[in-house]
Amino acid sequence: MAVFDTPEEAFGALRPVCVQLTKTQTVETVERLRAQLQAVSDSALQELQQYVLFPLRFALKTPGPKREHLIQSVVECLTFVLSSTCVRERELLQELFSELSACLYSPSARQPAAVSEELKLAVIQGLSTLMHSAYGDTILAFYEPSILPRLGFAVSLLLDLAEQEKSKQIKVAALKCLQVLLFQCDCQDHPRSLDELEQKQLGDLFASFLPGISMALTRVITGDFKQGHSIVVSSLKIFYETVSFIMADKHLERTSDTQPKPASVEPRVAELMVHREAKWVKNTSDKLTVLIKKITECVSIHPHWKVRLALTELIEALLLKCSQSLVGSVGHLLKALVGLVNDESPEVQTQCSKVLRHFADRKVVVGNRAFADILSENLHSLATSLPRLMNSQDDQGKFSTLSLLLGYLKLLGPEVNFVLRSAAHLQRLSKALIQVLELDVADIKVVEERRRPSGGLSSSPESAALLQRRYFRFFTDERLFLLLQQLCQLLGFYGDLYLLVDHFMELYHESVVYRKQAAMILNELVVGAAGLEVENLHENHIKTSPEELKEIVTTILEEYTSQENWYLVTCIESEEGGEELTMKQSGLQAITSAAHTCQVTSFPAFSKPGPTICSMNSNIWQICIQLEGIGRFAYALGKDFRLLLMSALYPVLEKAGDQTLLISQAATGAMLDICHACGYDSPQHLISQNSDYLVNGISLNLRHLSLHPHTPKVLEVMLWNSDASLLPLVADVVQDILATLDQFYDKRATSFVGVLHALLAALAQWFPDTGDLGQPQEQSAGEEGSHLSQKPAAPENTATAEDIEQFLLNYLKEKDVADGNVSDFDNEEEQSEPPKVDESDTGPDVEPPPPVQIQIAKDVMERCIHLLSDKNLTIRLKVLDVLDLCVVVLQSHKNQLLPLAHRAWPSLVRRLTSDDPLVVLRAFKVLRTLGGKCGDFLRSRFCKDILPQLAGSLVTQAPVSARAGPVYTHTLAFKLQLAVLQGLGPLCERLDLGEGDLNKVADACLIYLSAKQPVKLQEAARRVFLHLMKVDPDCIWFLLNELYCPEQLTPPHPSLHPVQLRGTAGQGNPYAANVLHLLQELQ
Amino acid sequence: MLKVPAPPASMAASPLPPPDPQFVLRGTQSAVHALHFFGGAQEQGCPLLLSGSLSGLVHIWSLQTRRAVATLDGHGGQCVTWLQTLPQGHQLLSQGRDLKLHLWDLAEGRNTVVDSVVLESMGFCRSSVLAGTQERWMLAMPGRGSDEVQILEMPSKTSVCTLKPEADAKPGMPMCLELWQADSNPRPLLLAGYEDGSVALWDVSERKVCSRVACHTEPVMGFDFDSQKTRGVSGSAEKALAVWSLDEQQALQVCRTHELTNPGIADVKIRPDCKILATAGWDHRVRVFHWRTMKPLAVLRFHSATVHCVAFAADGLLAAGSGDQRISIWSLYPTHSDMSAPLLGHAEGREVGAHAVA
Repeated sequence: MAVFDTPEEAFGALRPVCVQLTKTQTVETVERLRAQLQAVSDSALQELQQYVLFPLRFALKTPGPKREHLIQSVVECLTFVLSSTCVRERELLQELFSELSACLYSPSARQPAAVSEELKLAVIQGLSTLMHSAYGDTILAFYEPSILPRLGFAVSLLLDLAEQEKSKQIKVAALKCLQVLLFQCDCQDHPRSLDELEQKQLGDLFASFLPGISMALTRVITGDFKQGHSIVVSSLKIFYETVSFIMADKHLERTSDTQPKPASVEPRVAELMVHREAKWVKNTSDKLTVLIKKITECVSIHPHWKVRLALTELIEALLLKCSQSLVGSVGHLLKALVGLVNDESPEVQTQCSKVLRHFADRKVVVGNRAFADILSENLHSLATSLPRLMNSQDDQGKFSTLSLLLGYLKLLGPEVNFVLRSAAHLQRLSKALIQVLELDVADIKVVEERRRPSGGLSSSPESAALLQRRYFRFFTDERLFLLLQQLCQLLGFYGDLYLLVDHFMELYHESVVYRKQAAMILNELVVGAAGLEVENLHENHIKTSPEELKEIVTTILEEYTSQENWYLVTCIESEEGGEELTMKQSGLQAITSAAHTCQVTSFPAFSKPGPTICSMNSNIWQICIQLEGIGRFAYALGKDFRLLLMSALYPVLEKAGDQTLLISQAATGAMLDICHACGYDSPQHLISQNSDYLVNGISLNLRHLSLHPHTPKVLEVMLWNSDASLLPLVADVVQDILATLDQFYDKRATSFVGVLHALLAALAQWFPDTGDLGQPQEQSAGEEGSHLSQKPAAPENTATAEDIEQFLLNYLKEKDVADGNVSDFDNEEEQSEPPKVDESDTGPDVEPPPPVQIQIAKDVMERCIHLLSDKNLTIRLKVLDVLDLCVVVLQSHKNQLLPLAHRAWPSLVRRLTSDDPLVVLRAFKVLRTLGGKCGDFLRSRFCKDILPQLAGSLVTQAPVSARAGPVYTHTLAFKLQLAVLQGLGPLCERLDLGEGDLNKVADACLIYLSAKQPVKLQEAARRVFLHLMKVDPDCIWFLLNELYCPEQLTPPHPSLHPVQLRGTAGQGNPYAANVLHLLQELQ
Repeated sequence: MLKVPAPPASMAASPLPPPDPQFVLRGTQSAVHALHFFGGAQEQGCPLLLSGSLSGLVHIWSLQTRRAVATLDGHGGQCVTWLQTLPQGHQLLSQGRDLKLHLWDLAEGRNTVVDSVVLESMGFCRSSVLAGTQERWMLAMPGRGSDEVQILEMPSKTSVCTLKPEADAKPGMPMCLELWQADSNPRPLLLAGYEDGSVALWDVSERKVCSRVACHTEPVMGFDFDSQKTRGVSGSAEKALAVWSLDEQQALQVCRTHELTNPGIADVKIRPDCKILATAGWDHRVRVFHWRTMKPLAVLRFHSATVHCVAFAADGLLAAGSGDQRISIWSLYPTHSDMSAPLLGHAEGREVGAHAVA
């Protein structure tokens, strides 16, 4: 909205002010001029440019001391004019340039004048505006050799400002202005790009300033981190723009050695001129190398990411444009670039990879020997110093060193083999890796943690991850491990895999100290070789072929799973120790867990963590790493790994059954990896699909059991995780197992009993019988319960005489039937049959052979009969469990079961009558199961062989326990009493004992209802009676009332005599509480 | 204090562990009565093992994956007694107790019966083929009469001749046959083992017995013939192996007999490189002998029932099929010169040698 559009009008308006300004130079006048100028249109002002500028320049030029405010406002006003107009003459431009720069110069001090910051800012702005206002041709003309002194003056001034000033604003402005002066301004006003010749001329001109600029900027760049990132960023920008402009390879190539004498140059100026011939380039390059080294070292660790980003730009620009002239710096530049590949800021990382990819794409690195040479030289020297660096640096230092190594590998790609083929360098590289990867094996938990004793292979991945965390001796930062992984993968990808695998295998063999690290490295090498997690920067690189990889993996696998590397000592307990107690047992949870904790605390090494713990810990880790390796190999090979399952699955499964939690978890992890790689849904699927391979391994290893003591474990794990379809495959192995067991009854019974247990449990699960024993207790309980409720326990008052008569008649009839005085057999089930044992079923008609599972169960049960009397308590317990399961499996094949039960009987009687309380209880459980299916067989034998002894011992022990103190509950006698009482009840119920035997049991247990007995025994006795009530409630009712009669009985009919029972109702009766409790249950 | 689960000390005392099978094939679900290796190094694809079972199935096993890749059901549940592949084409001959001899096409995953020959006697005798590179090949099989051998020209199934022993010879049923052709003489010859324990050499074109020698007192159960050395070995129900040779006049004569600990040899095979031979024993064991010296080298114990058949692969792998429904694969004295080949189980030469039990 200019008021004065024509020059004439404007002139009229401006003239008075200009005249006045020429006369009196005050701030006010300048301000007035400026105010007037606002109202003048740009075109009009352009016409009057010289006129308006005159008073202002005059004001600046007047000699004598001047007030700063005046100068500042004059400069600002000048800037305003220049911003609205163009400078068309070279002379004007040059003069204005000198006048403006002179404002900041104090001739006395030969340094920037001590003027106010505002003035400095104004002058800088003025200079910047001036340069922008010049026309393209004008500005080119401006840069003639004669301007050199003045330009140099301004440049050094600006550099001084950028370096020395406190104010950030000034610094930024000075740098910005410097950019403008050096033709690096990135604003839209300079669209024209320079042609070759112009570039060359400018380059020659600017070359004079290069030392000054580069040194000053280096000082700025390497200055305090706190000075703000924008200053460093723009300094970096100016630095690389300037250097890459002056040192650009394409200009220097064409420079002749002799300097063409420019005609119209004063000799003084000519001295300043620089001719960029080879010698100069070399000198400058050497000096720049020092600076660049300083810059890269300082900036690569700059905390602000934008600065590091600017560094990548610097490196890119210099490497692209000046790789010849700055050949000495290429190493530093690459090093810095490579070091930034793993920068924590994603922007820097992306940019860095972009640059690297760019180089790789342009084949700069591979094609150009110089680059590749420098890279491998760097890598060589890094490899040489790596062990020392890994030793001395902290985590951060290690991180940057390793990042650097990684970057070299990325950049060099397949060329990395030049370094690897030098034995000395490979040696150093591997030593460094091995050293840094050393694990901390002092953690005692690793040795202690035991597998949860369940058969399944499920484990939550989170807890596994937590446990599998490794602690390294020489670093704690998790990122370092990831970096090392990447490093190894990259080595595997680009390096000569055979060479590397050979080398690390050698180290693996060389010493236990190296073994774990070497295995870790080998694992990653293989993954890397498969090219799965590596971004390929080199398109012409040929990956290791799947066949080769498979071959290599096979070799490593063989090594990993060989006798000496797979079967390491990981725990102190011997196989026969209390270890098996930790295996799951139903029922006696409390006792088992007590035993478990006790066993753990008595762990001898707990109190003295010595070298043995460390070595076991180390062994555990070694196995875990190798297991992990198998998973990694599967990942690397994908479906191709299926063929290797033949040899690999067996060892993994072996470890899945390991007692050390960490190992079994690692094995499960490996199995999951394999499932994933080979396309199996779950470990169960994996096992069932490959059971033939496993069975093969098992059957062959069983032949040398002393060499392969873990073989039964594998079968066990397999059985836990399979279904009935496995049976035909394992049938012959089971026979092998039994045959081997027959050979090694004494030595290896523990592990075999484990297998037998797993086998029978599996059989019971796979072939559930229709008449299942699963919930027989509940069923019968329900039946009995209903039976109980139907029968009135005591005659009701409402009963009539007829009712009573009918009841008695029925009773008599039943009694007759029971005595066998009845002719009709309509109630056959009530008849007690003679035991079926002696009934021989081997008639003349040939029976079909029993199914495989029955045959197996039969064979196993036969072995159990022998093992029942084993010396080892654990084995006896376990065998009783197996026996129990055998009975379950055989229940529907009585012809097989009964003879075996007959043979097992004597041994079982011994277990019940003279063995450890734990065994007694377990034996009762077997009897109960047996009773469910062959009750008649068992009943007579139980009553004949066992009951008298048990009842007798209960009766004789009762007075002892009644008198005993609290310590008694810890004695064996007490435990035995308790076990017998606990076992008797359910068994009697299951066997449906007759009246006489029931009374025997009841009599023996009645004493234990006394309040004088230990509480636990009272409880157990009460439970016995609860069971007995289900068999014969009337009888028990009577028995209890005989002991303690809480109420007077009223006869149901007045015609009957009142009955007086023997039990006294007095308070002193020791049985009162328990009897009352039981009678309540009977109601 | 530490219990090391490493080999116990006793290991050092006992010389060497007995050799183990390299692996075991399971899943035939019935006794294995016939074995034949097929393919191998010269063929593309992995080598296969064919097995014939009591239940009439032929299983094709991949030795690479160690799994059955296909099952052929063509003998109506009757025992498969003989398996043989033809040199050209993927063709398999199978003989079963259902009196059928099937020709199967196995090329490109097919498994169909392309031709059948009906056998006319229910013997134990396994057939034999003489096939070269030509289209036509010759088949010897038990004939109509119990003591006859019939020769057919295949694939046209035209009867060439019937070889019937002279009336006074009474050798009984033929038990095993082998057709062969000497390098020098193009006339086909037939070796036949008979029920009376004799082995006879027939000139097929002249239909007459060239020579006959009594090797055993019990029926000949199996023999194999080394046509280079013109020497053969036969096993029978008795406790001895007989080694016999054929001189230039085509006369058979017994060179020696070798006593065994247990009677009954179900099958005898000489390895293709003619270095060793293996026998399938009724005593559940496979015995390995040095072919030239007949020195016993090893007793392979693995099976838990009668071993019915043994077979050698071109690369030297040994397979044994048994009544316990398993096929064991053994790698003994690998024929390859490079020992790095992972064929070797426990059984390196000296180890097996150390274990030799006569």
